[in-house]
Amino acid sequence: MKPVRFDYKRPATIDEACGLLASDDNARILAGGQSLIPMLSMRLSRPSLLIDIAHIPELTAFGETETHIEIGAMVRQAVAQKSEFVKTHIPLLAKALGYVGHPPTRARGTVGGSVAHADPSAEIALVAATLGAEITYRVDGADEIFDASDFFIGPMLTIAPPTGCLTRLSFVKAPAVCGTGFHEVAPRKSDYALASAAAQINFAAGSGVTSIHLGIGSVGDFPERLDVDQLCGTPLDDSAIADAVHAAMQMVETVEDLHATAAYRKRVATELAIRALRDARGEISKDLNQ
Amino acid sequence: MTEQKYKFLSTPRRPVEDRRFVAGRGKFIADLDRPNMLHVAPLASHYAAAVINGIDASAALAMPGVVDVITGAELAAAVQPLMNGLNTPNVRRFPLAVDRVRYAGEWVCAVVAESRALAEDALEKIIVDATPQPFILDAEAALLDTSAPVHPEHGSNLLLDRKFVWGPVDDDFDAAAHSLSFSVTWGRNSTVPIETFGVLAEWNGWDQMLDIWASIQMPKYADQIARSLDLPGNAIRVHYDVDVGGSYGVKRGIKHSVLVGYIARKLGCSVRLIEDRLENMRAGDAHGPERKFDITIAFDQDGTVRSMKMRALDNAGAYAGRAPFQLGKPISAIVGPYQINSVAYHALSVTTNKTVQEAVRGFGQAPTNYAIETAMDRVAEYLGMDRLALRQKNLIRKDQFPYLIPSGSYYDSGDYHAVVDKVLTAADYPAMLAERDRLRDAGMMAGIGIAACLEPSGGNSSFEPLLNQSNQTSTWMESCQVNIDALGKVTARIHTTSSGQGHETLVSTVLGEVMQIDPELIRITRPNSLESLPGNSPVGSRMAIMLGGAAARAGEKLKAKIMAIAAHRLGVAIDELRYEGGDVLANDGRRLAWDEMVELAHRQYHNLPDGMDPGLASFDIMQVPTGDALPVDDKVQMYPCYSFEFHLLLVSFDPIIGRPDIHSYFIGHDCGTVINPAIVSGMTYGGIAHGIGAALFEEFAYDTNGQLLTQSFLDYLMPSSHEVPAIQIVKHCTPSPHTVFGQKGSGESGYLGAPAAVSGAINDAVSGLGIHFEKLPIRMSAISDAIAAKTS
Ligand SMILES: Cc1cc2nc3c(=O)[nH]c(=O)nc-3n(C[C@H](O)[C@H](O)[C@H](O)COP(=O)(O)OP(=O)(O)OC[C@H]3O[C@@H](n4cnc5c(N)ncnc54)[C@H](O)[C@@H]3O)c2cc1C
Repeated sequence: MKPVRFDYKRPATIDEACGLLASDDNARILAGGQSLIPMLSMRLSRPSLLIDIAHIPELTAFGETETHIEIGAMVRQAVAQKSEFVKTHIPLLAKALGYVGHPPTRARGTVGGSVAHADPSAEIALVAATLGAEITYRVDGADEIFDASDFFIGPMLTIAPPTGCLTRLSFVKAPAVCGTGFHEVAPRKSDYALASAAAQINFAAGSGVTSIHLGIGSVGDFPERLDVDQLCGTPLDDSAIADAVHAAMQMVETVEDLHATAAYRKRVATELAIRALRDARGEISKDLNQ
Repeated sequence: MTEQKYKFLSTPRRPVEDRRFVAGRGKFIADLDRPNMLHVAPLASHYAAAVINGIDASAALAMPGVVDVITGAELAAAVQPLMNGLNTPNVRRFPLAVDRVRYAGEWVCAVVAESRALAEDALEKIIVDATPQPFILDAEAALLDTSAPVHPEHGSNLLLDRKFVWGPVDDDFDAAAHSLSFSVTWGRNSTVPIETFGVLAEWNGWDQMLDIWASIQMPKYADQIARSLDLPGNAIRVHYDVDVGGSYGVKRGIKHSVLVGYIARKLGCSVRLIEDRLENMRAGDAHGPERKFDITIAFDQDGTVRSMKMRALDNAGAYAGRAPFQLGKPISAIVGPYQINSVAYHALSVTTNKTVQEAVRGFGQAPTNYAIETAMDRVAEYLGMDRLALRQKNLIRKDQFPYLIPSGSYYDSGDYHAVVDKVLTAADYPAMLAERDRLRDAGMMAGIGIAACLEPSGGNSSFEPLLNQSNQTSTWMESCQVNIDALGKVTARIHTTSSGQGHETLVSTVLGEVMQIDPELIRITRPNSLESLPGNSPVGSRMAIMLGGAAARAGEKLKAKIMAIAAHRLGVAIDELRYEGGDVLANDGRRLAWDEMVELAHRQYHNLPDGMDPGLASFDIMQVPTGDALPVDDKVQMYPCYSFEFHLLLVSFDPIIGRPDIHSYFIGHDCGTVINPAIVSGMTYGGIAHGIGAALFEEFAYDTNGQLLTQSFLDYLMPSSHEVPAIQIVKHCTPSPHTVFGQKGSGESGYLGAPAAVSGAINDAVSGLGIHFEKLPIRMSAISDAIAAKTS
């Protein structure tokens, strides 16, 4: 369990990092190292150059616009979890972050690293896909932006450009009234989940429920957004939620491994999606019933 | 208030070893450094089975920093096969594969280089020309004539096939009103130490000496290395003064040590091999029993269990290892804590193309307890009888001890009913039942787990002569040396490594008690093997009994000498003297202080009794209590002491999610006189955690290609502090009549019954659906799937 010999560089700017990426087609970015270092040790990843982006100030910043919250790729999961920005404006992410690994791994692991790594059970990726976050990569000096809803295409597989550096995630600010729910199931607390579900119901006074976001993770090759638009305009009662989830789950293909059968993943993802939606509904029940 | 019986024993004292461990000042193999030390990395087989046609290591050898590449062929020509304890001369095993690989992960060859990283680089350059062969993973399949033997020279996959009948089994079955049959399977798991195995060997040609530092927990380690390397026993010097970062049976390291010993000697240097986690999990000594039980049990309408037929089929993996003998130890408690009149036992061990099975905590007892406890639950279910009442009816009664079980062992002492009652009171059993029903009413699946079992301890390995008549072992001694220096301070020497058992605390406490000296002032050292007396290392839950016993006896010898010196000095008879806190008091009020007697012994020969040797030193080599005889008629007294444990827990889970949540966990524990309460409790907590792992999470699982799926902690799941509930230990003490203070073993406590209890709780939770989970671990997915199959 010793990595293959590699060079190590620690750039100070994003463009310097991109230059290094372009200089060696077997280069790899090192963020928090919580996924990459074990892969290096097992020689599953064999880069010739490691580019440590931990010392690029722009990557550790939060940003705010009228409509969006931006999280720098190098923001540690633990920092995001404690951030008031995140709690206020991306409550679904705030809920999910507590499920990402353990306090020590969150202290080093980054928000961007989790998205770039694209583990099918990554909670941050699930929230990003569910909410349709924007993922920004710097490639050849220019920014390229991807919609998280169709960014993930397989286990550890995305449509990101191979020589790009993920710089930030951008989430639409949640409306003043919104309900969220997050559930996951793992054999042990904080293990990679066997099934996970994220839900957000947006509400506007006067117009009622404006949109419903639902996503499931850990059951297939990547986190998936489920279409439950049919629920908008319904009273969101238990049976409507269950019907919508069952309908949406019909097309979902689930995987099987030592820890869970495909049938288990499907059954449990369905249940968790229902619970996540119910939790979200519960959070705005006062507004819904007005 | 009653007067306390002991001054230091059974009192809450902080274990001596904790200080250095908590401060991070332990000394482990990875902390050692020797000049010009070389490093080894083994090449692992990809195939579950293959014939090796050739190995081309030229490219590896040409790399800078690479010193040598050792193949199995080279090694086989230079060393003797590793011992296996059975009469299976054609199941030969060397540290590296010879001609054939027999499991995925088996070591094919080994690179020696200036660093471990360079050695791993070189591994990638080695070309192995191998032809894949058919392989077998399942133990039942391995038994079939049509299956290819893992060792063709051996002719079949059978390592052990022994049938025992103890007592009138047929008569008891005929007389019983009912019988039922079932099968359960214990999954392959381990104890998973934090520190993987490591060994450092250094050859000094001028001294003709092989020095070894190793993280071992291994009886007769030095002997086995010497035999394999064809070296005289006194040319191997094993240094016991290293810390071992966890074991419970899996720190054997014979193959690793023979390999590095050979390399050190060949190259005349120091060489170190420390397994990485992959090597530890797929090719170390990590795998424990994988066992299928077929059980038929005969019982009466009133719940009296009369007789049991048990077939135990164990999947030993690719070589003989210790697996077959792990079918032997449970013979000593084959009826558990119950009055079962007769037993038929069919023990089968077969080779397969899996990693070699070695010793794991309890040496096969925990799987057998799981089978027996499942039988008790099944009988209760069949009769519609309360599971607890059924057990209480069949438990051996206090007035029946010493109790002779059909397979020839006497249980020394116990009060099982009292322990059960104490636990029921502590747990408020009626409230627990009510809570279970409340959870059920709330839509959860909820169940109570009950398990009673024994921990045989301190034995002399007599399962070896029982299973192999050519083995004539009738001792499994342990020893201790004690010296009082000229300044009056006590030093004791122990002759083994420790992997967390707290032997320094054990010996200093026991000696302190005997000599009436503050244990804090007693120093414990670990010399090397050449300066040691015979011993058998901490296996079989024996050290409190055997090392504690030897230390106490060595202390008594010293005390006797001190009394003789004092009697002579004061001119009175010994029986007119009293030993008190290190001083000696005469009936007439005169007192000889400790320092004065030390002075006499060390300097004043002229004042010693005639013929007495000077100095104050003693040693004791202790024989196993009750363990003097070889087996007769397939029966033998295997262990002197039997500790008792009784588990009671409440579990619930959501029927869809299936993730068991343990609400409360109680264990009644009787290991006789406790020497250090913190150590015993620590063993029990850890054992239960381990048992929860065996029941719910841990398995060395293989895919259909014979590849190990669980090679790291990503997939080999151990319970964390989140999954292990608060555990209430309910203590009871029935002293053993066979040991110096009445102590029994506790090194396996908790683990021996927890898997059965947790399994029982989950089965109770689904009992209304007619579901039986018949294999451990019981994964949450299996729980949910089974419920879905019944309810959809
Ligand atoms: C014990 C343990 C438990 C864990 N449990 C969970 C869990 O429950 N859920 C979960 O989601 N994760 C879990 N993880 C993974 C953890 O969250 C990782 O931190 C995360 O997957 C990767 O983030 P990182 O910053 O550590 O990235 P690294 O490990 O440094 O990198 C991961 C990959 O992403 C690439 N990368 C990183 N940053 C960028 C970037 N800015 N631009 C382009 N490529 C980039 C790297 O090149 C590499 O390929 C666990 C990890 C451990 C060790």
